[in-house]
Amino acid sequence: MTQQKVAYFYNADVGNFHYGPGHPMKPHRLSVTHSLVLNYGLHKKMQIYKPYRASAHDMCRFHSEDYIEFLQNVTPQNIQSYSKDLLHYNVGDDCPVFEGLFDFCSMYTGASLEGAMKLNNNACDIAINWSGGLHHAKKFEPSGFCYVNDIVIAILELLKYHPRVLYIDIDVHHGDGVQEAFYLTDRVMTVSFHKYGNYFFPGTGDMYEIGAESGRYYSVNVPLKEGIDDQSYVQVFKPVISNVMEFYRPTAIVLQCGADSLAGDRLGCFSLTTRGHGECVKFVKNLNVPTLVVGGGGYTLRNVARCWTYETSLLVDENISNELPYTEYLEFFAPDFQLHPEINSTNNANSKQYLEAISKHVYDNLKMCQHSPAVQMTHVPGDFFPEEYRIKDEPDPDVRISQEEADKMVEPKNEFYEDEKDNDKEPPPETKDP
Amino acid sequence: MSDCALVSNVSEHDASMEVGNEKSLFEPSVDMMVNDFDDERTLDEEEALAAGEQHDPKAELNSLQREGDMPLEELLALYGYDKTMEKPPVPEPVPEVVPEEIEKAESALQQLYNETASPEATRCLRSGSRPPSEEEDDYDYSPDEDDWKKTIMVGSDYQAAIPEGLCSYDDALPYENEDKLLWNPSFLDEKVTEDYMKKICSMNSPTGVDAVPKGKQLRDDEEALFLLQQCGHNVEEALRRRRISAQTPAHASLWSEEECRNFENGLKAHGKDFHLIRQHKVRTRSVGELVQFYYIWKKTERHDIFANKARLEKKKYTLHPGHTDYMDRFLEEQEASGAGVVRPVSPSPMMEFGPSPATQPDPLALGEKEVFSQLNAHTPPPRALSMEEPEPPTGS
Repeated sequence: MTQQKVAYFYNADVGNFHYGPGHPMKPHRLSVTHSLVLNYGLHKKMQIYKPYRASAHDMCRFHSEDYIEFLQNVTPQNIQSYSKDLLHYNVGDDCPVFEGLFDFCSMYTGASLEGAMKLNNNACDIAINWSGGLHHAKKFEPSGFCYVNDIVIAILELLKYHPRVLYIDIDVHHGDGVQEAFYLTDRVMTVSFHKYGNYFFPGTGDMYEIGAESGRYYSVNVPLKEGIDDQSYVQVFKPVISNVMEFYRPTAIVLQCGADSLAGDRLGCFSLTTRGHGECVKFVKNLNVPTLVVGGGGYTLRNVARCWTYETSLLVDENISNELPYTEYLEFFAPDFQLHPEINSTNNANSKQYLEAISKHVYDNLKMCQHSPAVQMTHVPGDFFPEEYRIKDEPDPDVRISQEEADKMVEPKNEFYEDEKDNDKEPPPETKDP
Repeated sequence: MSDCALVSNVSEHDASMEVGNEKSLFEPSVDMMVNDFDDERTLDEEEALAAGEQHDPKAELNSLQREGDMPLEELLALYGYDKTMEKPPVPEPVPEVVPEEIEKAESALQQLYNETASPEATRCLRSGSRPPSEEEDDYDYSPDEDDWKKTIMVGSDYQAAIPEGLCSYDDALPYENEDKLLWNPSFLDEKVTEDYMKKICSMNSPTGVDAVPKGKQLRDDEEALFLLQQCGHNVEEALRRRRISAQTPAHASLWSEEECRNFENGLKAHGKDFHLIRQHKVRTRSVGELVQFYYIWKKTERHDIFANKARLEKKKYTLHPGHTDYMDRFLEEQEASGAGVVRPVSPSPMMEFGPSPATQPDPLALGEKEVFSQLNAHTPPPRALSMEEPEPPTGS
């Protein structure tokens, strides 16, 4: 497997916002994460971008214009004059108006959007934006700490180049905003693993939510119960994603890595370790499909930083030590100062039988996609090549090439043209026979 | 149905759900006696039903047949049993039995899902769907009818507009000029970059914060890497330029003692409302800077002293109730997040008051290992920040 090129999008200011007193969402976790990434020496392994900031126009690719205009204009100072809109847009407790709200949205959305563009351009194979992943935001209103749905906007960008985009969500909460946005289409499959039931936010994500109209069977939900541990999670994650890959064959993936599925999260109730959470990320990376990796929830600051730092190291194929490097935030990681702290496992309410049954349920639904005529299995855009056709670095002429590579260079017998004039990429039938 | 609801409601509250207790729950309550056990009405209904069945004995057989084939769950539902009610009378489902048909599998799955449902109500995402108050008597627990459940909405107000077909960026990237590439690893060999980083590390002046050993880890320096890229990945040129620029201090915006004190006063007055703190107390800084400062500050000794002082003041306040006490909330949070742990020394670049090694030599001379061993021995290590320090020069 060739080394995947990784691009990392980070705006140094994105961590310096504050949702208000007592609010569990702390954007500063992004600064702490970045500091760890830097001090682990991971920075020099990636392309680093100070990303583009999304404009109101970009946001309106998904959101309603009225709503974005409201976000752009409302401030803590003028909030009184918007009292009607506040109610209309459900702004308040969960989604407060804070200083710099629109700037914050513009930074995290711009980073996801740019990640999608770089993937489309083959500038990288993996794009990372830990500030993104705000999967609850709806077309016309904020929800669950999310104002602008950067994921939906990034996927819309990917759809310009990719016939089928897969969205995977390992946040403890259901990825309702993304699922709803693409509920009627077969060009995006959304797969969400989440806690469901007993008044858990947002209240969607039942196993029977499978999409509608053309999108029927293209929304996949894996409802789970509290206390799920690494072993159980991976037991259901891997077969489900393998089946999804087999039946849906996406050409691009967006992976939402909400860290509130870790043990000890302030709002979550799962028992995953950073290693277990990372295992899912590694599994998706090894699928070798262009992937946009975004953050999401995560409300115990120190664990979020640990998790996303570790996952950055996995994505760049770098082993990092369990002992945390010195950073200005070192004391957040007291008393153990380790990357993978010990966790107190709680009771796992997911029986093995249940996990097997839910995997089978998903499999049975996925089988239905196979017969769906709407999936564009044959259409490949002009400048999207399969892996082996990609332009490789100029080989050293003095080094003997391997037999395998030499075989690939053999031209079909009916090949008369090179490059642009080459109309028949299909090899002639006789060469297919061994 | 109302009696069922009542029972299930009670059992919901009883987290232990012991089977022994279950029987006593079936005793008719006062409510049941009044409403559903109205003898005359029930008798009338039964007679009417019996009369209907006599007309068509075949229909009765058919319906019995249907009920016999029905999955247990549906059957229970048909007879008005609540989902939570099915547990006590039904023997534990045998896990090995995985029915072939999809429909049956789904109901088995539903059963597996319900069977492990925990009585503990979990936390929500701050607000959103909160459980109804426990006092509500008519709260009918049924997973299919629950009001917390939301549905995915369908319509042009909800879905994204999917672009038709595929296209390519014919023109230049629309935003190409607005992002900024800060580093690209593909130009230089990893070894070369690493050597460069080592040289940069050794060049950093061994005074102040930079003197603290950073451990074995070779850390990255964003600015140095960006400089290397600006020099066209020419290591020599980058090092030369770095040497020139190294003369000027990097930490341009150290906080003055006055700013620190104003910040703390602001925190006392407004809680963690950084917008108000900026407006009333620290006008020299942006809200973003305040937020950044707060997270560094809260892990220093300065914070510990501040919190202790506030705790003492809080005790006085309790004698004079009626004050809006933001500190109350703040301190509660601090305690919840486990503050007060003995910390190793943490000089932070933002809070260093003038690089004067004479006033604070000990921590800077310590190796990381020594700091950790001190921590283990529970000896309070020397602090980088101290209230007793002489008034520092204002860095700006």
